[in-house]
Amino acid sequence: MNYIVVVIFLILSAITLVSGVMVVTVKNIIHSALWLIASFIGVAALYLLMEAEFLAVVQILVYAGAVSILVLFAIMLTRHVTGEGTRMLYERWWVALVVALVLFGAVITPTIWQQGANWDAAATAAQASITATGEGSPAGTAVASTINIGESFMREYLLPFEIASVLLLMALIGAIAIAFEERTGRRRVLTLAEEYALKQRGIVEPRDAEGAVVPSIEAEQAL
Amino acid sequence: MVETFQQTFGAPLWLAVVLASGLKVTLILVGGSLGMMFLTWYERRAIAYMQDRRGPNRVGPQGSLQPIAEAIKTMTKEDTTPLEADRVVHFLAPVVMLAATVLTFAIIPWGNLFPSDLSVGVLFFVAIGGLHTLGMLMAGWGSNNKFALLGGMRGVAQMVSYEIPQVMAVIPIVLMTGTMSMQRIVESQSGFGGLGWNVFTPVGFFAFALFFVASLAEGERTPFDIPEADSEIVAGYMTEYTGMKFAVFYLANYMTNLAICFITASIFLGGGNGPGVNELGGFLGGFLSLIYFFIKALFLFFIMVLIRATVPRLRVDQLMGFAWKFLLPLVLVNILSSALWVAIIRWDQQAQIFTQWFGAPGTADAPNFVRLGVAVAVTIMINLGALVMVMGLNNRASQARMHTTDEELALGL
Amino acid sequence: MTLANRQGTGAVVPVERNDQRFRAGQGTAAGLSIVFRKFRKALFGKPNSDRSDTEGQFNVQYPEERLSLPEAYRNMPILLFDDATGHELCTSCFQCERVCPPQVIHITQAKDPATGKPVPSAAEFIIEYDTCMSCGYCAEVCPFDAIKMDHDYELSTSNHPELDVNYNRLLRPVSYYETIAPTLWNDVRESAMKKLQNNIKRRPGAIGVDHGQKVGAKAAPAAVARPADPAGAGASAVVPAAKRAPVAAIGKTMSEEKLAKLQSIRADNQAKRGGAGAPVDSAHAVEAAVGVQPDTAQVAAPDAATPGSVAPGATGPVAAVGTSMSEEKRAKLEAIRAAKRAQGGE
Repeated sequence: MNYIVVVIFLILSAITLVSGVMVVTVKNIIHSALWLIASFIGVAALYLLMEAEFLAVVQILVYAGAVSILVLFAIMLTRHVTGEGTRMLYERWWVALVVALVLFGAVITPTIWQQGANWDAAATAAQASITATGEGSPAGTAVASTINIGESFMREYLLPFEIASVLLLMALIGAIAIAFEERTGRRRVLTLAEEYALKQRGIVEPRDAEGAVVPSIEAEQAL
Repeated sequence: MVETFQQTFGAPLWLAVVLASGLKVTLILVGGSLGMMFLTWYERRAIAYMQDRRGPNRVGPQGSLQPIAEAIKTMTKEDTTPLEADRVVHFLAPVVMLAATVLTFAIIPWGNLFPSDLSVGVLFFVAIGGLHTLGMLMAGWGSNNKFALLGGMRGVAQMVSYEIPQVMAVIPIVLMTGTMSMQRIVESQSGFGGLGWNVFTPVGFFAFALFFVASLAEGERTPFDIPEADSEIVAGYMTEYTGMKFAVFYLANYMTNLAICFITASIFLGGGNGPGVNELGGFLGGFLSLIYFFIKALFLFFIMVLIRATVPRLRVDQLMGFAWKFLLPLVLVNILSSALWVAIIRWDQQAQIFTQWFGAPGTADAPNFVRLGVAVAVTIMINLGALVMVMGLNNRASQARMHTTDEELALGL
Repeated sequence: MTLANRQGTGAVVPVERNDQRFRAGQGTAAGLSIVFRKFRKALFGKPNSDRSDTEGQFNVQYPEERLSLPEAYRNMPILLFDDATGHELCTSCFQCERVCPPQVIHITQAKDPATGKPVPSAAEFIIEYDTCMSCGYCAEVCPFDAIKMDHDYELSTSNHPELDVNYNRLLRPVSYYETIAPTLWNDVRESAMKKLQNNIKRRPGAIGVDHGQKVGAKAAPAAVARPADPAGAGASAVVPAAKRAPVAAIGKTMSEEKLAKLQSIRADNQAKRGGAGAPVDSAHAVEAAVGVQPDTAQVAAPDAATPGSVAPGATGPVAAVGTSMSEEKRAKLEAIRAAKRAQGGE
């Protein structure tokens, strides 16, 4: 059983990594975004393998289902989607490489530093508890169940959670403010009936297809 | 099932798991496809009678073999790809669509039979349903056709908007039952002689209505079928698809509708629960629960057909307005009233005042009817108040638009 | 001043919408209830037969049920012959050929074999059903009430040449027409029969009676639509093919009028040759089919395809079958058809 898990893990990681690499190497931006979705789904599958069902589903719901769809949506509204003729590497690519490596190291080092010593111990403990209860997510081990996540949001990480919420709210209000301001300057498109009424009252001069002013019926009768 | 394979056939664990999963997957796939075929026939017959016609009644008894004839027809048709299309994306779009749809069947409880008990079943349904959008967008973009792209764009805008009320409409049920597992949600509705369905509570009823309406949009049913609006943009994102690929889109579409009916029936209408299921028990009870389940799902699908036969397609702005200005506020208020419901019915230690006023909270078998009554009254008041208010606000806004003075109109206000 | 206040001026009428104080989906609910009532009525109610109601099942299940056609319904023209004497009513006056807008009627006048003078009867009568537009002018203009409009609308076929219908397959007994349009026939019966009696006196020998017996397809009115009789189909296929072939060969450089003239000349020639070559009871139709000039026959051969090339051999036996097909059988056929129609009407 354990070997199967390892094999599945390797396959999933390969899929995730390959899609991740494809995201940055493919020239077509749409394809790039689609590879990004594949990568997200691979990560979700890894979560599932770790029995973090809630995280996996949220990963799909938020990242694969919403964020990347919006990314795709935005890309499709731009031009030069195919990306032909764009250069993939610029002169200072090594700077980007260094920055990326440093960031990756910053994430991975503490994890290894903390867990490195008792890595094997943690693995054997988890294995033991699984075999003891006969099924996944035993109560004692720190598998991220929905209840645990909720409780940690409401107790341990309440402040970061609230700060993130306020940040999102700010973004939302800002977006609405910008959109609203832009919209107030724009003329509303009138319905046919409205346009007709306005023309009748002489507020808007009726114009023909070329833009010339058409005299009203009353004016014609007066002539 | 795994144990059955292990004990009866002496298979090793991994083989038993593979066999059991394979069997389940096969059953689901076959059942889903057959269900889709049945649904196409059912919908056409039902809508025909609503329009004073008879519908397909020539192929087989009562036209029941019509879907098979159509399957043969679509399979034998030429499969074309536009010359300038993005071939890979164009090919993968129906695959993604069908995969997303079939995956949702993993968590559907067939009566009292559960293919897999995911602890986050409800969320899984919504999340995987969101991947549906991806297929739509891929089809729209990969076809290199303006109608397809328009359809895809419309679809994405619609799905992203309606996913929110859809997820939020289930939250009250999750709050009330304290779980997201489909199995436990269904089990929690087995009280009151099999009639303790969520839809019979005020909160559950509102949640049911909101969820069902939002799901109609998710399944591209008629008032919300603007992604494939035939009279405007040919066939939307399916414009450039022929033959079996087109059929796969249809398969995915109808299987989504089937899944929506099943899920709604499970979450709100008690799934396989009904009078007599618990009393019979065993195999007979399971059979009865399956029958109850199908009847409920078909009833829901009938309502879908009825709505399709009645309501014309919404405009895009009406669609968006309906989701954001109408469904979303009501859903939020419903979450609040469901929290109140849970508090009034269950809280004992946390709020002594409820116990002082209404007595101790009852159990599932012996509910405290005073608390129940108070909870019903409070939630109905809150929800109806919210409904009246939201409708009044929307009404006032549209009236304001209708009654703008001409000078204001001319200024473009 | 609002838009809704100003109505009835000019062509655009602003519609008042959203003016209710409170809308809670009443409109949708009312619509749903109406649709459901329609569903219930259509599923469980009686089928709506008189069409005065707005609910119920409106469909006519076509192959099993048929609407009864009005008498004046017209589909394709047919020719009548008298049941008692067997004489055709047509005198080949060419009125219908002249009036036909798409010019699909082609008549050859019969000649007295002894004197060579024209006789008030048609030797061959062809209507191209595929081009006929069912206007009914021919039936209106016919002074002898010989050409009438049929009610049979199930004419679809996979054999296109079959739609060039010759005399034998056009002929129906008067009794048949009486069943489909009794009052219409009642109005004209006396004058038509009187005219027929006059014409019979001017027809020597078997002229005017013989056409129905020659190829025999006339015995089955349904044969117009059904290619069940291969010989009938073959005969019908070969006649127009022979007629059309020379025209097709030359006609590319010719105008329509010239084509028509050429056709009529050729038809005359054929009729002459037919009149001369067939002394007593020989088949004019077969004559027209087989006895064409060698050059046209050569051109016709590839055009007429298989049934055409078989036709000369096939016409012999068919003639025998045609004579043996009696009036009784035709009456039986008619009875069956009438019964079916009655069933469908229920």
